[in-house]
Amino acid sequence: MLPLPSSYRDNDGFVFEYQGNIFRYIHPRYYTPYNQLIQSGLYQQLTSKKWLICHEEITDNLKFGFDEGRVLLPEQIPFIIYPYEWSFAMWQDAALLTLNIASAALKSNLFLKDATPFNIQFLKGKPVFIDTLSFKMYEQGKPWIAYRQFCESFLAPLLLMHYCNHDSYKLFTVYPNGIPLEILTTLLPKKCKWNLNVYLHIYLQAKISGTSKKKANSNLNFSKQKQEILLEGLKDMVRKLSPKKAKTTWDDYYTDTILGQDYLNAKTKLVQMCLSKINFTTIIDLGANDGHFSLFYKNTEKQIVAVDGDANCINDLYCKIRDEKITNILPCINTLNTPSPAIGWNDNERDSFNKRMKADLVLALALVHHLAIACNVPLTMIADWLEARGKYLLIEFVPKTDEKVQLLLQNRKDIFNDYTIENFELTFSKKYQIILHEKITGTERMLYLMKRINETA
Amino acid sequence: MKNFLLYIDPGSGSYLIQVIIAAVLSTAFFFKNFWYKIKSFFTKRKPEEEENNVE
Repeated sequence: MLPLPSSYRDNDGFVFEYQGNIFRYIHPRYYTPYNQLIQSGLYQQLTSKKWLICHEEITDNLKFGFDEGRVLLPEQIPFIIYPYEWSFAMWQDAALLTLNIASAALKSNLFLKDATPFNIQFLKGKPVFIDTLSFKMYEQGKPWIAYRQFCESFLAPLLLMHYCNHDSYKLFTVYPNGIPLEILTTLLPKKCKWNLNVYLHIYLQAKISGTSKKKANSNLNFSKQKQEILLEGLKDMVRKLSPKKAKTTWDDYYTDTILGQDYLNAKTKLVQMCLSKINFTTIIDLGANDGHFSLFYKNTEKQIVAVDGDANCINDLYCKIRDEKITNILPCINTLNTPSPAIGWNDNERDSFNKRMKADLVLALALVHHLAIACNVPLTMIADWLEARGKYLLIEFVPKTDEKVQLLLQNRKDIFNDYTIENFELTFSKKYQIILHEKITGTERMLYLMKRINETA
Repeated sequence: MKNFLLYIDPGSGSYLIQVIIAAVLSTAFFFKNFWYKIKSFFTKRKPEEEENNVE
């Protein structure tokens, strides 16, 4: 069995795929920390709190071709999203989870050997630590090896979102191994220096680490108690952060806009009617806004990814999911005309958004006019892209006469001669069989339920 | 960014800073406690436990 392309950093083990499931291989050299994790009760403690992914040990590892080592089958995660698709509260919860796990590990004579947000996925509405091999034996007197990584990979994006802009987490796409502190300090406003925590963890560290070549691995005696103080300090700092709030176009889109409640009620009824006609389990809600339509299916057996480009909307949705303990909706930020690319070693380490996002049903409600008119994407290209996302498509066509489209066109030349309902139907019927179409009462907007013609697209 | 950073073990530079931060935070914690004690002496109330909700 070969490791997945993302699993090359740690020589204590790797993850691999076998018959559609993800497994984790443990090399014999990792048995000591692994046994300590299990025997100290830490595994039991962390999994019962749902902080760490649970797994079962596979006894027959010969079928995978391993003659030594152990194989774990972790709980499977239906949709993978990456940190550069998280909103502020997701980052904050992921950072606190990492610190809480580090504290708990310390009590069991273990510690975290790395602190990257890629160790965290969101499962059942909560962050969960997925790297079972991240634990190492605690070494008396030694500070945290992953401290700098924590600062660059968690504190840096959180501070940028707190002091600069909610969208600034996107810088993490360029620096997936952590935003260098030397760069962070040039981006943060000067006033940050007056915050003791920011000064110590960021500015002072940036200064010292740049000049401390000779200090490397000096004999610093760092007690466990001091380590706990440091972790508690970090938790306190992370808890006090909040996203910099700026009102966006998409805040209260459904509650405030001119279209209003009647439109929403009519559309809601129609969507429910359409979806009652088909069978599906997984949904991608593209342009989900506040998750109004995803939330229909909350706490059912459906697995939903709610995608939107607006960080505030996704943040509000995540907080709602967390507070109401909704288990089957995964919020995800993505700007659909520039979705997350494939990144990392050989462009193969983290899959692109398009590669990861496939489902039985795709919702594209009040979306097409943004792609076609605001982003100039031709209808044929939109149809190609949606076709690859899922078998069924529920799509809303917003014609040029609509007030929202008029708004998009008011300050630009109308070059969109092809943007007509006839052309829309013609284009999509090359890819899809239109099951039904209905006008949304009180508007010129049309709703279409379609089924992909090519089964294996 | 300075080039020599590439040749430093990412953990090493952070060891010293952790020692400094822990020292600063312990001192801050000591004074905070001290301040609570003074306050409680005058208000005749037991110092309230600092909220320490880990979750």
